[in-house]
Amino acid sequence: MIRAFGTFAGLLLIVALTLALFGLPVGHSLSLMAQGAFGDKLAITRTLVKTIPLTITGMGIVVAWRAGMYNIGGEGQFVAGGLAGCLIATPLRDSAVPAWIAVLLILAASVVGGGLWGGIAGWLKNRRGVDVVISTILLNFIAIQLLAWLVAGPLRDVKSGLPLTPELPEGMMLPRFDRQTDLHAGIFVAVLAVAVVYVFLYLTKAGFRTRLVGAGESAARANRIDADRVRANAMLISGALCGLAGGVEYAGVAGQLGTSFAQGWGFLAIPVALLGGLHPIWVFLSALYFGALFAGSRSLAGFTDQGTTLIYIIQAAAVLGLIGLRAVGGKRRIQAEVA
Amino acid sequence: MLRVDRVGKSYGTLRALDDVSIEFAPGEIHAVLGENGAGKTTLMHILAGFTTPDSGSVEMDGRPLPVGRPFECKRLGIAMIHQHFTLVPAFSVEENLALARLSRLGLLDIPKLTEPARDEADRLGWALDIDAPARQLPVGAQQRVEIVKTIAGDSRVAIFDEPTAVLSPGEVDDLFRVLRRLKEAGKTVILIAHKLREVMTIADRVTVLRRGKVVAGAAIGEVTPDRLAQWMVGELPPELQKDSATAIREGLRVKGLRTLGDRGEEALRGLEIEVRRGEILGVGGVDGNGQVELAEVLAGVRPYRGEIRWQGSPLKYTSTRVGYIPQDRQSDGLALSMTIEENLLIEGHRRPKLTKGPFLRRSAIREWSRELVERFGVKGLPDDDAGSLSGGNQQKVVVARALDETPDLLIAVNPSRGLDVKATEYVHRKMLEARNQGAAVVLISTDLEELAALSTRTVFLSRGEIVAGDRAASLAGGIG
Amino acid sequence: MDLAVLLVYAAPIALAALGELISQKSGVINIGLEGMMLLGAFFGMLAAYLTGSPWLGLGLGVSVGIAASLASGWFCISLGADQVVVGTAVNLFALGLTGSLFRARFGASGQLLSLPKLPQFFGIDPVILLMIASIPAVWWLLAKTGWGLVVRSAGEYPKATEAAGFSVNKFRFQAVAIGGAFAGLAGAYLSIGVAGSFAENMTNGRGFIAIAMVTFGRWKPLFVFLAAVLIGFFDSLQYLLQAKGVQVPSQLMLALPYVVALLVLVIVGKGTSAPASLGVAYRRED
Repeated sequence: MIRAFGTFAGLLLIVALTLALFGLPVGHSLSLMAQGAFGDKLAITRTLVKTIPLTITGMGIVVAWRAGMYNIGGEGQFVAGGLAGCLIATPLRDSAVPAWIAVLLILAASVVGGGLWGGIAGWLKNRRGVDVVISTILLNFIAIQLLAWLVAGPLRDVKSGLPLTPELPEGMMLPRFDRQTDLHAGIFVAVLAVAVVYVFLYLTKAGFRTRLVGAGESAARANRIDADRVRANAMLISGALCGLAGGVEYAGVAGQLGTSFAQGWGFLAIPVALLGGLHPIWVFLSALYFGALFAGSRSLAGFTDQGTTLIYIIQAAAVLGLIGLRAVGGKRRIQAEVA
Repeated sequence: MLRVDRVGKSYGTLRALDDVSIEFAPGEIHAVLGENGAGKTTLMHILAGFTTPDSGSVEMDGRPLPVGRPFECKRLGIAMIHQHFTLVPAFSVEENLALARLSRLGLLDIPKLTEPARDEADRLGWALDIDAPARQLPVGAQQRVEIVKTIAGDSRVAIFDEPTAVLSPGEVDDLFRVLRRLKEAGKTVILIAHKLREVMTIADRVTVLRRGKVVAGAAIGEVTPDRLAQWMVGELPPELQKDSATAIREGLRVKGLRTLGDRGEEALRGLEIEVRRGEILGVGGVDGNGQVELAEVLAGVRPYRGEIRWQGSPLKYTSTRVGYIPQDRQSDGLALSMTIEENLLIEGHRRPKLTKGPFLRRSAIREWSRELVERFGVKGLPDDDAGSLSGGNQQKVVVARALDETPDLLIAVNPSRGLDVKATEYVHRKMLEARNQGAAVVLISTDLEELAALSTRTVFLSRGEIVAGDRAASLAGGIG
Repeated sequence: MDLAVLLVYAAPIALAALGELISQKSGVINIGLEGMMLLGAFFGMLAAYLTGSPWLGLGLGVSVGIAASLASGWFCISLGADQVVVGTAVNLFALGLTGSLFRARFGASGQLLSLPKLPQFFGIDPVILLMIASIPAVWWLLAKTGWGLVVRSAGEYPKATEAAGFSVNKFRFQAVAIGGAFAGLAGAYLSIGVAGSFAENMTNGRGFIAIAMVTFGRWKPLFVFLAAVLIGFFDSLQYLLQAKGVQVPSQLMLALPYVVALLVLVIVGKGTSAPASLGVAYRRED
C-alpha cells in the first residue's frame, strides 16, 4: 500500500516536473488534465477507451516478459489480430450467422492471428536460436506492411477512395454502453484478460513454471522443467493477448482497418507493463493511469501544442526512475549480504 | 624467495586461512596440498593479488607484495594459471595471446605481441595452432595456451591451480615436463593439488593445509603417501555404523551409462553403479570427472545412453520420487528472485495434494511451505526472497525441497560446499535420516571427510568411469 | 537507379547500423538506437535551422547522440539494468521530447522548414563519403587495433578482459559512445541531408531496422552495410517501379527486406557470430 502510494506520488511528481520543464503552468495544466480524464462522463469513458488496448496488450507483455521472452512485437501481434478479425468478418458480413456470434468469432480469430504472430518468434527462438528482440522487430514491420497492402488492395472498401476496409455493420461491433460515448464492451474483455492472466500466473501450475523459467532458467531446467516449451507457450499466449487487443480495437472502436490502425499500443504496452512491475493487477492500474494521461492530454492539447508527446516523456522518465531506484535498492541488499 | 608470513583471512564466520606462514624458494616445485575448503585457493588468490588478507604479510625478495592489486603482482612476475581458463572462446589462439600482452590500444602488432608466448611454446616443445579459435581446441591444448599466455616473458613465480583436473594421463605427463623445465629455469613453481600421487611424483617440497591452517611442511623425500594422507584429512573419523540391515531392498541399478558433457566431450563412459535402499553410495573423485553429469543424468535432466533401473524396471520420475540437491545452489538450486515458498514449489507443484487439475491450491501450499520452513529450520518466512537468505539457509531450502516426503532416490552433489560447520552437520543429519527412512542415496562429493562421514560404500569417479572402491587405496594412490 | 540516390536513402540506416555494430561487439545491444537517431534528427535540424549551417547541425546531432548513449550506458553498464528495458525507455523519451519540442517551437502542424543543404562533391555529399570511409574504418578499428581487441573480448568473454587488466565497463562505455555518435549523425543526416526537414517520429523504425541489420550482416561491417543498402534499395524500388508504370503492391515490396532478413536468420540460425556476452551486464567478482 505504501509502495502503491509512493509510486503514485512519484508519477505525479514526474508529470508535474515534465509540465514545468516545458514552461506550462503546473497547477492549471494538472487540473485541465484531470478534467479531461475524469471531469465528466465523457472524459471518464475517454480514459477507459484508451485503457482497454493498453491493458490487454500490457497483459500480453507481462506473460512473455515473465518467461524471460523480450517480446517487443506487441505492435505486430496487435496488427495480426486486427487483420485476422477483419479477414473473418468479411464472409460473416453477408452470412446468416447471428451478430453476437460473429463478434465472438472476430475476437477468436484475432486471438489466433496474434498467437500465430507471437508463436513464430517463439518457434524461431527455440528451433533456430533467433533472438526474440530481433525477430519481433522484423515481424512488426512485416505485419505493418502486410496491413498496408491488404487495406490498399485486397481488403479495400471499393466504395471508398481511401485505403480503408469496409466498415463493420453496427451489429457486428462490440456493443456500446451509450450512443454518445465510445465506451464499448471491450472493457469487460480487458478486465477478463487481467483476471485470466492473474489466475494463470499465480494460481496454475503452467503459470508458475512460466514465472520460474523467467526468474531462474537453470533452476527450472535442473528440476525437469522443459524451459523451451514453457517459453514457446508464453510467446503464444503473449501474442494471442496482443492480437486480442487488436481484435477488440477493431470491433470496438475502429470498425475498419487503415494503415494507422495500430497507433503504437503494442509499443506503449511495454512501459505500461514495466511500470506495473509485470504484475497483472498493477499493470491494469498502470494502464488506467496512462489511459487517463492520454485522455487528459487531449484537453491539454487545446491549451498548448504539446499534447500526447509529453506522456511519452513521462512514461520514459518513470521507467528510468524505477530502474534507478531498483538498482540502488539492489546494491544495498547485496552490500547487506556481504556484511 | 616468496614469503608468506602469518596470513589470515575470514569470510563471514568461515576462517579460510589462519596464521599461515610458508616460504616458496626459486628453482623448486612446491606443492600446496589440501582438501576442498582447506584454504588453498584463498592462499593462491592472495599470492596473485586477487584477494587482500585480513592480517599478515606477503614478501617477495624482502619487499612487500602489493596485495589486492593483481596487475602489479603480475608485473612483478607472479603468474597464475587458473583452473578455469581465461581464454576468449571466439578468439584465435594468437588473439588470445595478444590480448594478454596488450599494453597499447593503437595499431595491433600481433606477431610482436605474441612473440614471447610463441618463444615460450617453442622452448617447451609445443606446436601451437596459432590460427585456431580457442573454443575448437581440446582442453589440454587450451591449457597449453593458457600456460604460455600467462608465463610468457619474465615471470618468476608460476602458480598452477589444480592443473591436472581436466587433463588426460598423457597430458599430465606433458604438463609435468613443463613444470620441471620451469624449475630448471630457476622459477618458483607452486602447484596446488589434492592428488597425493601427483605430488609425490613432481614436487620437491610439500605444505599441507587443513581447515585454513598449515598442518605440516616437508621435503618430498621425507614423507610417505600415507603420512600425507593423514595430514590432509586429520585423524580419520571412525567408520560410521553402516547398519546395513536396512540396506537389503533393491534400489537403483545403473548399467553402461554414457553421456556427453556440455562441450560435447564424453563425460560418462559406460558407468555402472548400484545403490540399495537404505544405503548411501559415496562417489568421490576430482571435479570434472563426470560428477555433475552423473548427477544430472540421475536427476533426469541430461540425456544419456544405457540403463537406469529402479527396483528392476526403468526409472520413471512420475512414480519414483527423486530428490536432487544440485551442485550450484545459486543457479541450479534456486531462483533467487523468487520467494522461499515458490522455490519449494519447484518440486511441490507436482504433488497431487498441492494441486487440483491445472491449478495450485494456495492455502494447502501455504500450510505446507510453513511447515517445511519450520521443520527444516530455514531462518526466513515463506514470502522472503531466496536471494535474501544466507548460504546455509539457501541450502536448507534446497535440502527441504529434496527431502520433503522422503524421496525414494536422493542425489546430492557437494551438499555442504561453502557451508559452515553447523549447517554442514545439519545437512548431513538430514541425509542420514533420509537414508534411515529407506532412501537410496547417491552422494557425489569431492570432500573426503564428507564421504567418510556419510557413505555406506564409496566409489571413485575418474574420467567418467568408476575406479577403485577401496578408500585407503584411493587415498594412498591419489584420487582419480 | 542512380547509385548516389540509393546511398542517400540507405545512409541513415547504414550509419546507425555501423555504430550499433561497434556497441554490440562490446556486449551492449542498444535497443534505444531509434530514439538516439530521432534525437540526432531533431537537434541536428534545430541547429541547422537556427544557425544556417548544416555542419553545426550534424555536429549537434552527433553530440546529442553521444550524450544520449552515455546516459543510457549509465543505466545499462554502470547499474547493470536490462538493456531492452532501458532501450525502450530511451525510444519513448526521444519520441516524447522531440515531438514536444518540435510542437512547442514550430507548432502542431509543423511549419514548413527549409534547411541549409550540404555541399556536394562530384554529386555526393560529405556524409556519404564519410559513410563509405567508415566501412573499412570500423573494420580496421575492431580487427586491427588493440582497442578493438579489448572491445571484442569484452563482448565475448569479459572475464578475459579483466584478466588482461582492462576495465570491461570502461571499454563498453567507449564503444557505446561511438555507437551513439553514429546514431546521432545518422539522425541528423536524415533530417538535414535526406529530408531537408523534420517531422515527428521521422525515423519511423529505421533504428530498429538498423539493429536487425547488424544481426542480418553477421556483425561484419561490410555485410552490415550491404544489408542496409539492400533495405534502402527496396525502399526506393517502389518509386522507381511506379515511375515506370509497373503495377506491384508497393507495401509488399517494403515488407520484402524484413522477410528476407527473417528468412536468413532462420536459415543460418544463431550461428557463432553473435558476441557471446551480448546483452549481459558485467559485474566484477571479488
